[in-house]
Amino acid sequence: MMLYKNIPIRKKLLRIVFLINGIVLFVTCVTFFIYEFYIFRKTTSEKLSTIGKIIAANSTAALAFQNADDAKEILAALKAEPHIVAASLYDKDGKIFSKYATTARESVFPVSPGVAGFSFTNSYLDGFTPVTQDNRQLGTLYLKSDMGDMYERLRLYGTIVVLVLVISFFLAYVLVRFLQKSISTPILALAQTAKVISDQKVYSVRAVKMGNDELGTLTEAFNHMLDQIEEQNRNLVEFNQNLEQKVMERTEQLESVNKELEGFSYSVSHDLRAPLRAVIGFTSMLEEDYTSKLDDEAMRITSVIKKNTIKMGHLIDDLLAFSRMGRQDGTKTAIDMTEMLNEVITSLSPVEGNGAISWDIQPLPRANGNANMIRQVWVNLVSNAIKYSRKRKAPHIEIGSFDKDNKHVFFVRDNGVGFDQLYQDKLFKVFQRLHSAEEFEGTGVGLALVEKIISKQGGDVWAEAEKDKGACFYFSLPI
Amino acid sequence: MQTIKVRVQASIRYRGKNEWLFQALFILLFALNGHGLPAQPAPSREYQLKAVFLFNFTQFVDWPPTSFDADESPLVIGILGANPFGSFLEETVSGEKINGHPVTVHYCQSDEDAQNCHLLFVNLPDVKKRKAIITTLKGKNVLTVSDASDFSKLGGMIKFFTSNNKIKLQVNLEATKESELVLSSKLLRLAEIFKSEKSN
Repeated sequence: MMLYKNIPIRKKLLRIVFLINGIVLFVTCVTFFIYEFYIFRKTTSEKLSTIGKIIAANSTAALAFQNADDAKEILAALKAEPHIVAASLYDKDGKIFSKYATTARESVFPVSPGVAGFSFTNSYLDGFTPVTQDNRQLGTLYLKSDMGDMYERLRLYGTIVVLVLVISFFLAYVLVRFLQKSISTPILALAQTAKVISDQKVYSVRAVKMGNDELGTLTEAFNHMLDQIEEQNRNLVEFNQNLEQKVMERTEQLESVNKELEGFSYSVSHDLRAPLRAVIGFTSMLEEDYTSKLDDEAMRITSVIKKNTIKMGHLIDDLLAFSRMGRQDGTKTAIDMTEMLNEVITSLSPVEGNGAISWDIQPLPRANGNANMIRQVWVNLVSNAIKYSRKRKAPHIEIGSFDKDNKHVFFVRDNGVGFDQLYQDKLFKVFQRLHSAEEFEGTGVGLALVEKIISKQGGDVWAEAEKDKGACFYFSLPI
Repeated sequence: MQTIKVRVQASIRYRGKNEWLFQALFILLFALNGHGLPAQPAPSREYQLKAVFLFNFTQFVDWPPTSFDADESPLVIGILGANPFGSFLEETVSGEKINGHPVTVHYCQSDEDAQNCHLLFVNLPDVKKRKAIITTLKGKNVLTVSDASDFSKLGGMIKFFTSNNKIKLQVNLEATKESELVLSSKLLRLAEIFKSEKSN
């Protein structure tokens, strides 16, 4: 059975009305039933008493003149009243004078007359009436009535009660079905509106007000609430638009500032190269032209100066390349990656002077991108692989590609020193190094440059490595 | 039987004043009967019933108010001729009142004496005498009752007769009407109504 609180309001109303109707009718019917029962008992008693008086009045002469035939005839008149099942007349001395019984079963009479009056015993009403003539008692009449009359009447009454119940329940049902609409319709409409709003997030819907009762007030309040929600939504959208506008403005400002900064660092690096070239030139002149005049210590110092100056030159070159990235326009062309890689390896191998490396180069797909920039990526990644695997007995470099998420993914794997995965986030940041300059030369700009290029080409860069077991660098480009 | 005799004698003694009258009556009755019956026979069951019936008639018959001198005047049941009830009738009516009238028993000595009764039990074996008394009482407010088989025919009002060993009544309505006596319908229902040859 459904819980009462979970059933629809329409059914609730119906049940309430049915319950009240049922209880009221039941109580009313029971009350009338009881009333009727007592009234009927009383009426029956009075009726029997009256019949008794009439019969008694008629039997006086029969008793007075000992006419049994007449007495019998008088009692036989009781046939007209079928509920009187037995009657008897007693003479002055209390002896039975005449008898009457509808059936043999009822033919049992009190031996002697009792006190006048009627009483209910079992399912019978019986009693005695004195037979008097001019206040002189000539005998006694005994009457016995069954209650069939009453049961018949109560049965009829019961049938009427059932009929009334059925009819009133039917009427109640019809009326409630009709009348409950005034309550349930506004509620259902409200519920429907609320459901539409919560399902479809349409806040412009309004519930229809159907009257000025509490439900009308509720509908009004509900609509007012929707007004407010809509108003707030509008404010929120407006606020969001303002925010976006502001973000765009800020981004533009930031971009222009960034450009200025890049321009500035380019000119700084470029301008720094000119004096550095002079320092290198003059140091070389010292080394070549003043070998005899300078002692050994002076020569050593001179060579240190030259070495550091060259190093500084590299640093400036790298910085220049890094800052140039921001300035270059990304003109994209289709690149034959295999050809480009071969060129890069050829240009790098003699410089690094390491023929011991075993190469495993798979055929690579063509890719779209800025050729100069992608070349720089290959240079940096391949030279890194050579650099960090150089110290291995059997250095091995594997280069290949695969497709993933609608992008070409290229990778360069070496069996070099690798690095700790923990420091991955530092890997692609400018001037961040995982190894010392004494161990592996470098400026800390290479991978940062790779990251910058690839993100500009619309791809991603990532790496997998394990300390002392080699590293693998991946970059992806859109197909 | 014995007790009744004693009681009867006691009642006679009570009437000491009229002793002479009674003795005279007894002698007369003795002479009239000529059978040598005892003066106070114990009444048979039949006459006991008839005595009760006589009293009961007073309850079912209305006499015109003019037949009573006053409201408390007695209602007199008379016996003309020999008394077949012994003292039983007197015992039956003693202390009884009908509509405020005490009921008394009177033993009538003559036809004139009988005129003062309200109810007269005629116990005259001689048909002429019966005729005479009926003629005398004609139109008077006296209810006449008798055992005589020709009583109704003679103009008597109520006749006792026996049928199937039961005492039945025959009523001469013409006679009662003439005497302005109203018999209760209840009584009439029990009775056989006498139809005179004239009306037939």
